[in-house]
Amino acid sequence: MKRRRFFKTLAALPVAPALIAQAQSPAPQTPAAQPPAGGRGGGGGRSGGSNIPTFDETSPELVADAEPRFFTPAQFSALRRLSALLMPPLDGSPGALECGAPEFLDFLIGASLPDRQKLYRSGLDTLNANAKKSFKKAFADLSDADADTVVRPLLVPVAWFHDSPKDPAVQFVVEAHRDIRTATQNSREWATAGAASGRRRGGGGGGAYLNPIDPIYRS
Amino acid sequence: MPAKVYDVLIVGSGHSGGMAANILTKEGVECLMLNAGPEPEFEHNRVTKATYDLPFHGFGQPGRLPHVFQANEFNANQWVDEKEVPYTHDPANPYNWVRVRLVGGRSLFWARQSFRLSDYEFKAGDLEGTGQNWPISLADLDPYYSRVEGIFRVMGRKEGWPEFPDGNFVEMQTGPDSQTIAKMAELGKQRHGMKFSKMRSSLGQNGLASSVNLLLPDAMATGKLQMVSNAIVREITTDKNTGKANGAYIVDRHSRREMQVKARAVVVAAGCLESTRLLMNSGLCNSSGVLGHYLHDQIYGVQVVASVPEARDGKRPEGLMGGSAFVPRFRNLTKDDKRNFIKGYCVLLSSGQGANPDFFAEYGDALQKKLDHYAGSCVSGSIFGERPARFENHVSINKNVTDAWGIPVLHIEVKDGPNELNMAKDAADTIEDIFHTAGWDLISKTDRFYPPGYSIHEVGTCRMGDNPKTSVLNKWNQSHDIQNLFVVDGAAFVTCGWQNPTMTILSLSMRASEYLAGEMKKGNIG
Repeated sequence: MKRRRFFKTLAALPVAPALIAQAQSPAPQTPAAQPPAGGRGGGGGRSGGSNIPTFDETSPELVADAEPRFFTPAQFSALRRLSALLMPPLDGSPGALECGAPEFLDFLIGASLPDRQKLYRSGLDTLNANAKKSFKKAFADLSDADADTVVRPLLVPVAWFHDSPKDPAVQFVVEAHRDIRTATQNSREWATAGAASGRRRGGGGGGAYLNPIDPIYRS
Repeated sequence: MPAKVYDVLIVGSGHSGGMAANILTKEGVECLMLNAGPEPEFEHNRVTKATYDLPFHGFGQPGRLPHVFQANEFNANQWVDEKEVPYTHDPANPYNWVRVRLVGGRSLFWARQSFRLSDYEFKAGDLEGTGQNWPISLADLDPYYSRVEGIFRVMGRKEGWPEFPDGNFVEMQTGPDSQTIAKMAELGKQRHGMKFSKMRSSLGQNGLASSVNLLLPDAMATGKLQMVSNAIVREITTDKNTGKANGAYIVDRHSRREMQVKARAVVVAAGCLESTRLLMNSGLCNSSGVLGHYLHDQIYGVQVVASVPEARDGKRPEGLMGGSAFVPRFRNLTKDDKRNFIKGYCVLLSSGQGANPDFFAEYGDALQKKLDHYAGSCVSGSIFGERPARFENHVSINKNVTDAWGIPVLHIEVKDGPNELNMAKDAADTIEDIFHTAGWDLISKTDRFYPPGYSIHEVGTCRMGDNPKTSVLNKWNQSHDIQNLFVVDGAAFVTCGWQNPTMTILSLSMRASEYLAGEMKKGNIG
């Protein structure tokens, strides 16, 4: 019996010093400062578990402007003009300019692989060159009718997504048209307009975002 | 403390590994299952997001998964990171290797189309005069197919056609076909000898038909299965004296710590190409010189779209549009059917959809008017076509490139040939002929198709056969060279057929696992 009691006492030891200290000195009038959650020692037990407050945050796109950084001013002006031409506001839906599609594409193409960057840059340069040749103006300064004259010969039907027209300028218009439509229809502005009007016309929406794989440690 | 020696080491937890674990543990065999990735904790790792809240607005991170055309920004994290586990190919001959490293593997995400192979595939060598027969026939696999169909609850319509074998189906309830589908059936039969049926697919349980819910829970319940996640198998080890497999070196996915596991037998079920890569990196199972050869899959991409005039501009007369049909292989079913290609394709037909903006050289208001004009008036046809298995289409180890764990990667050399091109052309022309004869206007037609591998039905590379000089495995998925090593995934296939391979992989794994358990009980293995 004595041996069992000894082990019982041992098991209680880790708690005992704190109890003794509390009994010997008066309790402080103000609570001791707590280290920040998640600090040294893991902090898991101090973070409050499920009681951590959460906040409604906003998106940077709602509070910040995006300056074009990838395209030259001449290329970006041509991209804006092309976007306005190919995806204008229609029947209550906002157009590419209202949805910030050119600004988003400046970011996206800037983050893309070199082949795609070259396709866009040379494609926009071609629009400007053809506009100058036919109308002695930059593509951005053309009327709808004149812009159509420049773009129309480069428009082709594509039977299959992965078909690539051989002429790079034609390929550019195919891909830019697709990208301008997608950037427009996937935008917040498009979704908001759709929700307000009670109807949806292509693209946008949402889905289940899946993140099942914790990353490996990289050296 | 020396590690426990398990009865069987199972590499991989997808359909084939899950089935092996399910069967072996029920037979009392103690198994250790290794998974290269983590468990997919969907409850914790899945959130609903608007597309505009994704960093790249649904376009996906440029260049992240160049070979996974199925990837989008929502699901990009579920696929194998191509920088972590790269592979190489000649840029002129791309290959799309689409992989998942999660417990359950690709069984978590498959399309659930569920078919049996027929003797037109098992005995294709007789029909085509190539000698490329499987060492088994449909009769050998029939009882296993039936059991698998029961577990996966395959829904289908029985037809009694030898080229489209019936199975143990949940009966399909279908209403009458729309007039457009009925017209396709009438013309397809008259003009091309097509037979019209319906898609067959696995219902599973609670919307999931995967190893993780249909196979692994029963295996775990036996108490005979140990699973280890994030354990990448670098090499299968063998006993120096007997030459038999006796375990594997494994690498921890996070820490890269290497350890060794031991077993009396090894079942490789890592997915066709990962299984072959593992055998090659282990220097095993290649006395025939056939390991890594005969890689093949199916062609996808051919598509024909037409518009039904009476259904345009929002007019959709009752009963005209809607529904779908499935046409099993109808080409080259007899030796008299002389064409400029061997083998065949199935056709998927549907009615009632709209047109793709890409189909028109228009923009803005004019394009929108076109889309509105054709909305709901379109019919379309596409195919799954069989690529022939060719010796020269093969994989090897590229010793100059390693993955994130220092393991040499695969080099893939696969090229399409005239057979694929001729088959695709025939398919596009045949579908167009039906639509044209019906009086519907062609909107778009392509006989182009995706690069090899896109179907995610890659098979071959450890083909089975009776002759150890021309095959890697015997008819029980057992290595000719190493008696206690089995490969139970799609690598064993001799020909892929036009069919989704999943039911065949599951049935072969079930059959091989029962054989292995029997041999272990008799003392012949282990």
